[in-house]
Order: sequence, then C-alpha cells, then structure tokens
Amino acid sequence: MIRATTGGVLKSYRRNLMNSFINVNKSRDTVLSQRNFNSYAEDPVSAARAFKLRKARMTVESQYAVCNDVHRKFQTGWNSLESINKLIDTENGEPMKTLSGTSLTMLNDPTGDAREQLTKALDQISQTIIQNLNQKYGENFIFSGADGHNVPFEIKNDKLYYRGVPVDAAVPTVVKGAGGAPMGIDPATGLVAANGTTYVKDPSSALIKRSDFDDIVINDPTATQPQILKKNAVPGDPQRFNEKGEPDDNGDYYLNLDEAETMTQEEYETAVTDAKKLKYLMNEKQLVDIGLGFQENENGKLIESSAYNAALNGLTFIGYGLDSDGDPKNIYSLVQKMKEIGSRVKDGQDWTKADYDEFDALVKKLEKASSEFKTEFTNMGAGTQKLENNVELLEDNFYNLQEQYSDIEDVDMADAITSFIWAQYCYNAALKVGNSVLSESLMDYLK
Amino acid sequence: MGMIGTFDAFTTARLGIYAAQHGLRVTGNNISNINTAGYTRQRIDQVSLKTGASDMYRSVYDNHVGNGALVTGINQIRDPYLDIRYRNTSSDVGYYDTMLDGLQQIASILDEVGKGENDGDGLLYAQLLELSDALRQLDENPNKDNDNLTRASAEALAALFNTYAGKLETLRKNTEEGFQKDIVSVNEILTNIRDLNESIRDNELQGDNALELRDERNRQIDKLSEYMHIRVEYTMEDAGAGKQVEKLTIRLGNSNPDPAVTTDSSVLIDGLFGTQVSVPKTLPKTNPAYDPNETNQAAVEAFRYIKPDGGFTNDPAEAEQLDNDNYILHLSKLYDRRGREWEGRTPTYQQLTDAELVKDYGMVLGQKAVFKFDVGAATGWNEGDVIRIGGKDITIGANGDITVADMADPAKLAALVAKNLNGTIDGYTITADGGSVVYTATKSGLVDAADKPAGPTFDPGTATGNITFNEGTTPFFGVDAVPPKFPDPVTTDNGDGTQTIVSFMQSAGKYYKVTTQVEHTSEVTLDDNDIHGSLQATRELLTEAGSFATKDTVANVDENAAKKRGIPYYQKTLDLLAQKFAKEYNKLNEGVMLDQDGNEVESITGTVEDLKNLGVRLDQAANTDGGFGDGYYVKADGTYMGTTAHYPNCNLDAAQIKLTDTVDEAYAKAAANGAAAATTREEKIAALKAFMSQHGVNNDNAEKETITLDKPIQMGGPLFSNRNDGDDTTGITASNISVSHSWSIGNVRVVPKFEVLFNGDIDHSTQNKNVGHMLSMIEKSLVYDPRDLVPDAVGTKLFEGCFNDMLSDACTVQGNDQRVQNIKLNTSYTSLIDLDTSREGVSGVDLNDETMNMMQYQKAYSAACRLMTAIDEAIDRLINNTGLAGR
Repeated sequence: MIRATTGGVLKSYRRNLMNSFINVNKSRDTVLSQRNFNSYAEDPVSAARAFKLRKARMTVESQYAVCNDVHRKFQTGWNSLESINKLIDTENGEPMKTLSGTSLTMLNDPTGDAREQLTKALDQISQTIIQNLNQKYGENFIFSGADGHNVPFEIKNDKLYYRGVPVDAAVPTVVKGAGGAPMGIDPATGLVAANGTTYVKDPSSALIKRSDFDDIVINDPTATQPQILKKNAVPGDPQRFNEKGEPDDNGDYYLNLDEAETMTQEEYETAVTDAKKLKYLMNEKQLVDIGLGFQENENGKLIESSAYNAALNGLTFIGYGLDSDGDPKNIYSLVQKMKEIGSRVKDGQDWTKADYDEFDALVKKLEKASSEFKTEFTNMGAGTQKLENNVELLEDNFYNLQEQYSDIEDVDMADAITSFIWAQYCYNAALKVGNSVLSESLMDYLK
Repeated sequence: MGMIGTFDAFTTARLGIYAAQHGLRVTGNNISNINTAGYTRQRIDQVSLKTGASDMYRSVYDNHVGNGALVTGINQIRDPYLDIRYRNTSSDVGYYDTMLDGLQQIASILDEVGKGENDGDGLLYAQLLELSDALRQLDENPNKDNDNLTRASAEALAALFNTYAGKLETLRKNTEEGFQKDIVSVNEILTNIRDLNESIRDNELQGDNALELRDERNRQIDKLSEYMHIRVEYTMEDAGAGKQVEKLTIRLGNSNPDPAVTTDSSVLIDGLFGTQVSVPKTLPKTNPAYDPNETNQAAVEAFRYIKPDGGFTNDPAEAEQLDNDNYILHLSKLYDRRGREWEGRTPTYQQLTDAELVKDYGMVLGQKAVFKFDVGAATGWNEGDVIRIGGKDITIGANGDITVADMADPAKLAALVAKNLNGTIDGYTITADGGSVVYTATKSGLVDAADKPAGPTFDPGTATGNITFNEGTTPFFGVDAVPPKFPDPVTTDNGDGTQTIVSFMQSAGKYYKVTTQVEHTSEVTLDDNDIHGSLQATRELLTEAGSFATKDTVANVDENAAKKRGIPYYQKTLDLLAQKFAKEYNKLNEGVMLDQDGNEVESITGTVEDLKNLGVRLDQAANTDGGFGDGYYVKADGTYMGTTAHYPNCNLDAAQIKLTDTVDEAYAKAAANGAAAATTREEKIAALKAFMSQHGVNNDNAEKETITLDKPIQMGGPLFSNRNDGDDTTGITASNISVSHSWSIGNVRVVPKFEVLFNGDIDHSTQNKNVGHMLSMIEKSLVYDPRDLVPDAVGTKLFEGCFNDMLSDACTVQGNDQRVQNIKLNTSYTSLIDLDTSREGVSGVDLNDETMNMMQYQKAYSAACRLMTAIDEAIDRLINNTGLAGR
C-alpha cells in the first residue's frame, strides 16, 4: 500500500475487528456447544462418520431390546423346561412325582396294588408337562414355534396335537404299486383296483408264504382259504410280494387280506399331510435381528446365520412322530400308551407277559425320550447363555459406539477453552489498538 | 529590460490568494466528506501563469517573471485499473456470497448435525432408524401395539419428509422472490447510472467536472458489479460544435465460457441510454440448429426460433412460447430517460455523375443561351482616335490596342470588343467567335427572346468612324434544366437487427446517393452463463439440478449443468429418496399368496374376515361371477357388503354385482333390478345398501361370508401413497409421501408373510418373514438412479447405499459444496478487501494529508496577503514618497 488513508485504516481496522469478534464468537460457540463441528460444512467427513456411528448405536440399541426380549423369553421357557425336567427326572425319580419313578414303580410292583393310582399319576404328570409347554411370555406362547398367538398343545381324546397336528403323525406304511404310489384294492373282490380307495397298511404282517398258502389249499381243501390279493378276477392271478411286502411278480409271498389292516385313501392322505405338516413345523424358524448381521442374499433370502431363530418348538423337547416299532416318540403319547396298558390290568392282578413286555419297552422308550429332552434342555440352556452373552456384547457395543462418535464430535475442552481465551485475548488487543487508531492524527497536534 | 507594469505584482498576489483559497476550499471539502461513502478525494490543478506577450525590442537584459498561480480545475484521484479489478472481484464475491448464503439455508433444513435426540441423532436420519426399530420389534413380537408403532413411525417419517420438502420449497420460493427483488434493484442501479450519465454530461458541457456525481456513479457501478460481472469503458464522444464529452459504456463482462456465445458482452449502458433486466414468464422456443454464421437465409440454420407448427422464424413473437423455468434473463432495448430508443446511423455519401443522373434518375440538364452579334464594317477611323468599349478607352494606332487597318477586320475588331466587354455585363460571358461577339449565359435555364441582352455598345469618344453591329445570326434561347427524379428513401431490414436506408441529397449543386446503416439495440435473451455475480448465483440456486439435469439442458443450455447443484438438486435428491423408500416398501408389502413350499396358492376358501386377517386384498381379487360362493359383494365406500345366501326370489343373479364393480357400475346393475333412484355417489351407495339389505345382504354378515378366491390371490397393499386420502402410488415425492389411506384405516397392514400353510390349516401368527425383509431393507444397498425421477436426467447413478447413507450423502455433498463456496468466498473476499484498501489508498481522504494541505494553503494564503501588503507599501513609497529630495 503506497498510501494509508484515514478512511482506509478505519475500514481495515473495522474489518479486522469484525474478524476478531467472529473468532471470539466461534470459539465461544465451540465451548458452549462442546462440539467440534455444528454442520456438515464444517467437517463433512467427520459428520458423515459420526452419523454412521450414531446409526450403528441406534441399531445396536434396537437389537439390544430385541435380544433382551428374546433372552427373557428363553429364560422363562428355560424355567418351564426345568420344571418339566424335574417331572421326568430319570435319575432320582420318585414315584407319583416323576414319570420315571412312577413308571418304574409300576413295572417293578409285584402286586400291582397301586397300579390305578400310579396310572393316574402318570397321566397327571404328562398333563402337567403339556401345561408347562403351554406357558406364555408376555402375550405370546413360548413353545409354539412361529405361532405365538395360539396355544401350541392341545389334547383331544387323549391325543396330543401341536398346532392342530397330531404329534404322532407319520407317513403310514402301505402297499405301494408301480411308481411308488399306494396300491388301491377292492376289499369286496380282493382285487388290485387301479382307482381303489382302500390301502393295505403294514403289509409285512399280513404276508403269507406261497408254499404255506398252497399247503392250506392243497392239503386241506375243506379249510377256509385265506383271501389273498389277486391281480384279476379271471384267471384270478394272485399278486405276489417279496418278503419286504413289496409287489414282486417273482416274490414268494401273497398278501393275506384276512389279516391285513386297511385304511382308506382319505385316512392315508390325512396321515401323509399331517406328517408333512409336522415336518414343516419342525423346520420352522422365526428369525430375528439381534445384531448378528441380519442380511439377505442376492435372492432376497435372509442369510440364516445372520439372524437368530427365536422360535421355540415344544416338540423339540418332548418328541414327535413314531419310531420303527410304530410307537410314539412323544413323551405324552408314550405315557398315554403306558396308561392304556396300565388300565388293562386291575389293581392286585399280575401283568400278562405281553403287557409287561410292552410296558417295559415303553418305559425304555420313555427313558430315551426323557434323555433326548434333557439334551435339548441343555442345548437350550446354552442358547439362553448365548443370548445373555449377546445382550452383554450389545451393551458393550453400545457404549463403545457412543465413545467413538463422542471422540469425533466432542471437543477437547482444554483445547477449546484455550482457543477461546486466545481469541478473547486477540479481540481485547484489537479493541485496544482501535483506541489508538481513532485518536491519533496530525489534526490533534494543531494549536 | 522588459517593461514592468506597476500593478502587475498585485495580480500575482491576488492569484496567489485565489489559488490558496481554492486549495483551502478543496481541503475543506475533502475533510467534510471523509465519511461519505464512495467519496473520492479531490485536488486542485494549479499552474504557473506567465503572460506570453513579447517586448517590441528584444534586449539581452530582458527578464521575464511569471504572473503567479492559476487554478485550472479540480479533479479526482482514482486508479481506473483498480476499479476494474475491484469490480471483477466484486462479482466473484457477489456470486460466492449469495451461493454460500443459499447453501447455508439449505443446510439449515437438511443438515442434522447436532439436531435430534442424544445431542445429534438427527431427525429424518433418526426417524428412518426408528422405523427399523419398530420393524425389529414387530419382527420379534408381532402384535397390534408393534403394528401401530410401525405405522406411527412411518407416519412420522412421511411427515418429516413432507416438512423438509416443504421447507425446501419455501426456500425456493423465497429465493425466487429475492431474485425478483434483485432484478428490481439492478434495474434501479441501471436507471441511476444512465441518469447520472446524462447529468454528468450536462455538467461537463457547462464546464463542471461533476465530481460528486461521478462518485455516486462509481458507487452505483460498484453495486452493479456485485450483481453481475461487467466491463466499464470510458470514451469520448462528439457533443456537437466540436465539443467532446466523456461517454460511459457498461457491458456484460464476457463471463460465458462458451466462446460461441456473444450475448455475454451485451451493452447495459451506452452513455445516455440504458437497458432494463427482466425475467419473462415465457421464452420463445429456440432452434437448436441455429447458426449465426449461416449465410443461406432460407436454411433451417438461419432461424433462431421454432414456431408452434414446427416451422422456423426469426420473430420471437411468432415462436412457440415455453415456460422460462431456467429464469433466463432478458435485456430490453436501450432507452434514454425520455423513453427514446438508441439508434446508431452511419451514412456514406456517393456523388452521382451527370451520366448517372441522366440515365438512372431521368435528369435533364439545362443549356446556356448563346447570342452572337456580328461585327460589321468599321470605317473612318484614324490613328490616335480613342474609342471606349465597356468603359475603357482604346486608342487606335500603331502603339494603341488596335491598328487602323485592323479596325476594318471584323474578326480582330470582335476580339477587341469581346476582350473589353467581358465581365462588364452580369450573367454573360463574352467571347469572340470569328467576326462575332458571343454572349454566353452563365446560368442554365430558359432565356426568353425578350430578355435577350442588348448588343455591344461603345462610346465613340473622340472617334469619328463607324462600327456596325448586326443582330445575332444564331440566337439560341436554351431550355429548362429538369432535376433528377429520385425514389423515396428505401429502408431495408438486414435481418441482423440493422437496417440500411438509401436516400438522395443535393448539396452545393451536387447530387449524392446516401447509404445509411442504421443500428438499433435489440432485445437480448441472455444465455445461461452470461452473467456472473450474485444474480447468477441466485439463478443457479433456483435452477441447478446437478445429476437430475436433463440431457437437453446439458446439450443446449449449460454443458456443466450436471456439476452444479442448487435447491432443485436437493429437492430432487430428497424426492428420489422418498420415492425409492416408498417404492421398495410398497413392493415388499404386495404379493400373491404362497403355500408352505413357496408355490402360488391355487385357491383358498375362508371367511371374508379371515382372509382379510391374512392380508388378502379382496378388492384386487380376480374372481368374477359366482366367485364368492353364493354371495355377492360390492365395494362401495371402502367397506364390503355381502350376503350369506340367495334370498328367495332375489334377482341378484341378474344384477351380477361383483366385487370389482365401481359404485356406479354396481348401482347401474342394481338400479336395473329395482334399486331406488339415486344421483350422487352418496345416494347411490345408500340405494345399493338398501337394495342389498332388501335381498338379505348387510354389513353384519358380510364379514362372516365364506368365499373362495382363485389365484392369483393378491395380498397386502401399498403402505405409502402420494396422498393420505388415497392409495395412489404414482409420483410419490418427499412433499407428498404419505401413509396410504388403506394402511391408515387398517384395510392394509404390514404383511407379515405371504405364505399360507396348508390352506390355512396351520396358523403361524408370529411368523414375520416379510417383516424381516422390510427390516433388512433398511440396511440394503440400493442404487439411486436420477432417471427414476427425471426420465431424461443426465445422471445414471446418484448414490449406492442404504437409505440413511443416501441421506447422509446428500448432506455431505451439501456440506462439501458449502465448504468449497466458503473457501472461494474467503479468497475472493480477501482480494476484494485488499483492492478496496488499495483504492482507499489512492482515492481515500487522509486526515494527515488534508491537515498538511490545510496548513500549506493557509500559509500560502497568508504569504500572498503579505506579498500584497509588501507591494502596496512599495508602491506607496513610489507614489507618495518618491521625488521629495531637495524640497
């Protein structure tokens, strides 16, 4: 500047004073707001990062609520299962109080004096187990899988239903024809019927060896001949089977319709559907977001490992379906079957051997089912613990995230106050300088 | 030694007093105006006076002394180069300042830093997450509370979108109003400058430099430079009578980066004329093929505009008018304060030859009259005789002008007469032609015989002889000259705003063809980037849409449009986010019923109530006749009416009222079967209800009716629509996004799942697969394509990420823009301050300076006065006290 004029100096001073004042205000705002930045424009990168962290915190907060809720549900469920566990205690089972104690007492009771009471006790314990499985957490049933609004277990005619499906549902073994479809028969004519609506159940128990059949027919023509399944009326070719009960033109067996148990097509299809339903229910999941990633794949399908299955299926614990012997695997159904055997013999009478053996087998199966219950119960305990850990992890995450964005957003107060004091100092200095700028000129020295 | 005037020194002293007094006045004026905005310090122009007369006789001892000081004028001290730089920078500051201000206002709406709960969770940002929180709760525990919570959260989100969009629209409108006010201010400034030009010119003609008016004009120009980039030129122009005055011209400052554009140097002020800026509501549709250099007038490229019928024209009034969405500025013609339009005329003169005049313009040239007088015999002359011809004495003889012998020769005598007569008779040139004296008229025109001049006369003087003059033998009387017949002036429009006028004029007996080029200022529609400064910044805030700019805009308006972001960009970004959000969630909430294996359910049977609870959309059912079992349903006012069975003798079969019928259609069928007459919609619904009720149909049993639906069985419905009293999902934007009417009244709910297990035999009341999809949607990375909102948008991918990140990205873009503008503003503002300080250094008043001047002029004044006293005393000595010796 070649020439400094009064106006120029004043203008310059005014602008500098304004800058100084702006700086003071800015520093003061920083101290008061305690924030490093108050807009994206001040620090776009940090602002975007802080929002991302806040988003993560809010998500964690939400996941924490869900996880906590699921955890409580599992804890409540675990408490119910613990009660059931006591009822099926296989180690120290007391009679009348536990399933194992009661059933073993029945089995080992030589006189059968208390058989009726014990049978009733068995029934009541099994009912209690079901009641426990119908527990609610909040407004939802705990063990109803993905149908928390409806009672999961229902007993109708001593049969247990899970969400309307018989727990003992299984695909019946029937004679299959070509293509694997059930072979229809006409019970009236004893012929294979293409559109027959009657199926033969469990054919292996109704097979008769061709030689035995021939013996009867040849050796004792007067005896009543067993009615065997025939292919056609004329010439009346019998339908041959192999030893597995499968149609086989070279087989050595015929099917004795007199001993064969049959079922209608409708009954068969209902049983198949029930089995299918049961299978579906056993695989059903209710996946929730508890902070495991919760992400879908490219096809829009949730990646299961990124979510948590919050559904608790009661059947997982008490079993379902039939075993290879055709006996139920479900604890309640087993007890009902035991109850039925127990009811056959009055107090004080001995078991028949067949009843005893059957009861004994059922007791073993009950023990097995109880053992499986315990396994699942333990698994659930681990699951509950996992949820508890996750709750804690989410809590830690929450605080960590808070700390992280706080590091970005919040000012270092020592630094902020120092900056403010420095700005204030500069402003004061500017004011002081201003006083001298305004007072001095040659005019002041004129006499 | 030169002469010394006794009282000369008084004049010297007096001039000194004058000069000092002027200096004091100017100093006083400077001090008084030290705080006047825009004041430029003044100073006097003072020269040393010396009279120029020289002495009659030069002497080596001559000493010439000056005659004192003379104030020749008062001027200002300005640096024009500083002014140019200041004004260039001022337009930069204006641009960045306005842009920054606009961005700050956008930030005040969108920027959520420090807002919301937990000292900065944001509002819209947090609401998106709150919805995900509600969905998470719904996913985990589906009950009515969580369902309502989700809807409430969605309503709050929609309301926030609406609020933000509303605020952005208000900002846009306010900015538009501000723009209109800026236009008014610019026009006021332009008017002021034009009027000041006239005042300055008038003052200048009066000999006054009008310095204060120039200050004011400079101040106005400075103000104008904030609004737009300008170029200021000072030239001299002829004010008549040989007087030159200063002329100020202001043009736009060539801001357009496109070198082909010339409108960016349009004249705003031309001396006494000025333009006015406006923003027309409509603009003529321009011809994209227009080429100003096209020489073929018939070519498509020669036309600026396109007419409504697709034809081409150069007349903007004939062109198709398009809305001026781009806020293109328009400059009027240049007018002076009296409303007269500026016109520039450049004449060229071409003198016409006689041949051209005769041939082309039918001129008949006038001929001169010729009279001949024959000289007859001259006899009787003697040597020494004197004859007088034309007042001159002629002596005849050997030493005279003619010999006696020659007197007898007519040719020689005629030559003598002609020689001496020529010049003595007005209007005729007199020559000799053989033996004749020829009178030739000097003017064209008709000469009547009566007006024939008299023949030559002579005074015999002392002569005694005779000279005979006969009448002229070949008198010629001449004809009138006929002037050329010129056509009326012809004005030709050159098509480029100029005209050519061809006219004719006569001056000093000569004829000229005058070709005048006439220039008018034309109205100018400015190009997109012709101005710079705050006005352009406001325009860009109002119009720039960044990636949402159309290809047409980039191709024909501004090739950099895709990089510029104003309010529309942020509006559209928010719209795109809202649209995408609504679209994705609506899509997730609509589908067809699936079975447990994921296959489409062929048909389902259930009560209306149960199906509705499953989320089935009955109004979308494709069933027709009998599709509802024995009952018929009609959608009237959003509710369903139905029947359980045919009522005896009921004619509903004939009526065939279907679920998909509109009220009008259903009523038409019912009316044909005996329903009461009705006109309005409400009456028709009432009549329909009465008709159905009459046939056993009522609302009570409608919900219990068992119906069978065939595939496709539509489920769910839109969660978001473009208004809350309907379900229309088209054109959803941030300003209109709403929770759909159906969702708000419960006819549609968040579909928890589309699967129905084993025809509904198995319930799965807490299964929420679809809610899971919705939940994961919050985090899903989506592509935001501007073309979804603006089909012809130049951008293809605005952002890829989840909803929150998209919002955050918009804010980051805004923050970066603001940051960049802030840096640019600081840089240019610092330059402006430096330049202003420099200008102050040159033009500002400094008290020290002025105090020094004051002291200096005061001393000079005192000294001049002292000089006068000294001279007075000296002369007094000379006059009163000299020559007393010896008394």
